[in-house]
Amino acid sequence: MTTESKNMSRRKFITLAGAGAGFAAMAGFGMNLDWALNKPEIDTDALGINKISTDVLVVGSGMAGLFAAVKAHDAGANVMMVSKGRLGASGQTPFAKGIFAYDKDKEEISIDEFVAKVSRSALGTNNQAYTRQLAEHSLARVNELREWGFFESSLYNKSFSKPIEERNIPLQERVTITHLIKEDERVVGAAGFSIDEQKVLFYEAKSVILCTGAGGFKPNGFPICDLTHDGTIMAYDIGAKVTGKEWNDGHPSRGENPAACYDGWGDMFEQKPGTTGIEVRHDLGVDMNYMAYMNGGAAQMGPPGMGNQDNKVKGGPFTPEEFTKRDRGDGPPPGGENRKRPPRKEREDGPPGMGRGTVVGGSSAGMSIHKAEGLVPINDKCESTIKGLYAAGDALGSYMAGGIYTQIGSSLSGSAVQGAIAGETAANYSKNVKSHSISTSKLNSIEEEILAPLKREAGYSPAWVTQTLQSIMIPNFIIYIKKENLMRAALAYVEELRDHHVPHLRASNLHELRLAHETKNMVISAEMKLRASLMRKESRCSHYRLDYPEMDNENWQAWINIFRGKDGTMQLEKQPFDTVNQINSVRNKETV
Amino acid sequence: MKTKNYIIKFSALIFTFIVVPLFLYFSGNFERRNILMETLSIVTILAFSLLLSQFFTSRLNYKLMKQIRMVNVVAIHRFIGYIFISVILLHPFFIIVPKFFDNTLTPTDAFVRLITTYNTTGIILGLIAYGIMIILMVTAFFRFKMNLHYRTWRSLHGYLTLLFVITATWHVIDMGRHSNGSYTLFYLLVVATGIYYVMRKYLFKKTAKK
Amino acid sequence: MPIKSIKGCIGCEECIKSCPTDVIRLNPDSKKAEILYPEDCQICHLCRMYCPVDAITITPDKSIPVIVSWG
Repeated sequence: MTTESKNMSRRKFITLAGAGAGFAAMAGFGMNLDWALNKPEIDTDALGINKISTDVLVVGSGMAGLFAAVKAHDAGANVMMVSKGRLGASGQTPFAKGIFAYDKDKEEISIDEFVAKVSRSALGTNNQAYTRQLAEHSLARVNELREWGFFESSLYNKSFSKPIEERNIPLQERVTITHLIKEDERVVGAAGFSIDEQKVLFYEAKSVILCTGAGGFKPNGFPICDLTHDGTIMAYDIGAKVTGKEWNDGHPSRGENPAACYDGWGDMFEQKPGTTGIEVRHDLGVDMNYMAYMNGGAAQMGPPGMGNQDNKVKGGPFTPEEFTKRDRGDGPPPGGENRKRPPRKEREDGPPGMGRGTVVGGSSAGMSIHKAEGLVPINDKCESTIKGLYAAGDALGSYMAGGIYTQIGSSLSGSAVQGAIAGETAANYSKNVKSHSISTSKLNSIEEEILAPLKREAGYSPAWVTQTLQSIMIPNFIIYIKKENLMRAALAYVEELRDHHVPHLRASNLHELRLAHETKNMVISAEMKLRASLMRKESRCSHYRLDYPEMDNENWQAWINIFRGKDGTMQLEKQPFDTVNQINSVRNKETV
Repeated sequence: MKTKNYIIKFSALIFTFIVVPLFLYFSGNFERRNILMETLSIVTILAFSLLLSQFFTSRLNYKLMKQIRMVNVVAIHRFIGYIFISVILLHPFFIIVPKFFDNTLTPTDAFVRLITTYNTTGIILGLIAYGIMIILMVTAFFRFKMNLHYRTWRSLHGYLTLLFVITATWHVIDMGRHSNGSYTLFYLLVVATGIYYVMRKYLFKKTAKK
Repeated sequence: MPIKSIKGCIGCEECIKSCPTDVIRLNPDSKKAEILYPEDCQICHLCRMYCPVDAITITPDKSIPVIVSWG
């Protein structure tokens, strides 16, 4: 196989070289035809390599990563934190301004009642153990955050740095992790590269906690362009099960300057965070996509997810009765709503981010519901289907809220709660595990994979492949208003990108190298999203099928898990709602 | 005729050190912020340009001195000096003014970051110039208490000024939010002329006496 | 363009670290921040908010690359 693939690439190279000669001839006509030629700005042979050892490796530095690192340290483990961005300033954390805290002295309903209410809104899609855990632990986490000064600034780097610095937890920022490393059926580390130090980095760790957030297709209008499901895809690549891909976050954007997510949210990004109490909703988002689909565009759009329009169309996504009649002013903000937040600009004009005028859909395209997509947990301790691999926050498919927005502000506190639990669990696990030295052959092959786009003599730019993927996936009639034939068509396109473009991604510098790996992850995520959406032949919560508009309780009281089959193909299985995944259970395989 | 002559000279000074920088400010392609910040910017730019004008409101400007009484020249020199040095003294604080109005960094954090970042030559030059400026201001204020000979005083003031002007101008050209080609040219011309005057007065005149 | 200019930079690198999408880099000669990959800017304003000297200007508009058959 290896030889064959080498021959293939050699043949391809010859073809390209021949084409290059042709282009050179045509260049005489004044056309710039060296689009495909890779002109590396850095010498890959000069890139350094570092190997670092730790007990617990925390990947990601948002809310989940913060608590994972702190609690793993406090449980006695050596911890190291590594982030693609900056502590408190990457992923969705910096933009989430509301954090839910269940305070039994202030709330009128008990935790049992809260869990029941969430379950009703979620139409059974939530994992009650995680919903309960959120309520039980949220106040403690919020109090810790308050101690660190979290509520004193709209910027979180300072408050997040406090506990990390106090504990001397090593932190590496602007490091793109691309690979998880599994040997002897357990996780033994991770690998990636540092943009600032121009180095390939290997981490030997007894356990790894993915706090890598969710992701999207680098959509316009939502601050998730650094989130490309990296953790999910890395874990999928080493055999982990992932879930929740069929659900959709339905955030719209303003018709004018739709890419300007800061402007879209008024001045919310500059507000200090605040806490929220119990307020369970059923915020669809996808209902607006349905309306736009039926009405033929955004012209008469009202606020998202909120039903008050005169031009309400028949049919569409189902909202449980008790969650329809609400005095709504706001759509679901990123990471939650904050009731104590000072009034925003434009408040009277509509929901945050809308203002006056038309709205357009798909600002968060590619993202599922917070906490619904990600690694499948095998218990309520954030443990994944791979030994030693944990996930927390949006990287964990905990179904804490279900396939729909339920409790306001729970996204941020859920990340805090799960991060803490994952940290403690991983630290305890690491105590009984011997450190493992990753084999040289593995290191070499991974290094080769990481740097491949830099070494290609020609290829496609990540920006172009991403743009093409966006055109395939983001249209309303593909990702939101789903139907069999169009999803099959999109899947064919995505498979083409997967098989014939991803292997030819090129990079001329480390910025582009990061984009190349992100693009690969987005393409695989798109495939997951389409396959899961095809498999779920019903409509429920934020998943809407035009060809199966009804909820099917007989067949679909189940989550969809996705994993890589032995032949390398994508496999899907059902897992009944609110059950625990048994790794060795009989798999109800269903390949779409 | 004499009166008219110095009016023309004053007009020339005002034109060079107020009208020209203002013109460069309004004609330049700069990002405009809110009125408060733009006002502070203009005040800072004018303060710096008027500080540069000090070369020409001193004994160096021999002709002007002859036309109006020396006392008046010194009064103008002193007035511009104290007023606008205080603006320049405050300008590092102007920069962090927006931090008082938002929830991002605290003004203190921003200011500490500002004066403890030593990556760029601009900041280091700025800090040096700031230090020299304070020495200039203090020595000028206590000039008569120091009991210096006039010539010693003048050398001290002159050479400190030279050092200050060079570091400060370099700082402005390197760091200035409104630094562009036109401003750079303007500052360089003014500074070169000023230095030429000082040098002529201090070095060549002295040599001539020997 | 989204992130438009950096004027009056003191070289503290706050914006470089805070940019989620690696748009800004330190110029090795001037030691100041420069906008290197504006096409990847997500217009989230984190750089501007972290900047201690209010040096960054961002506009809400964004132009996308033209559609081509390969690239």
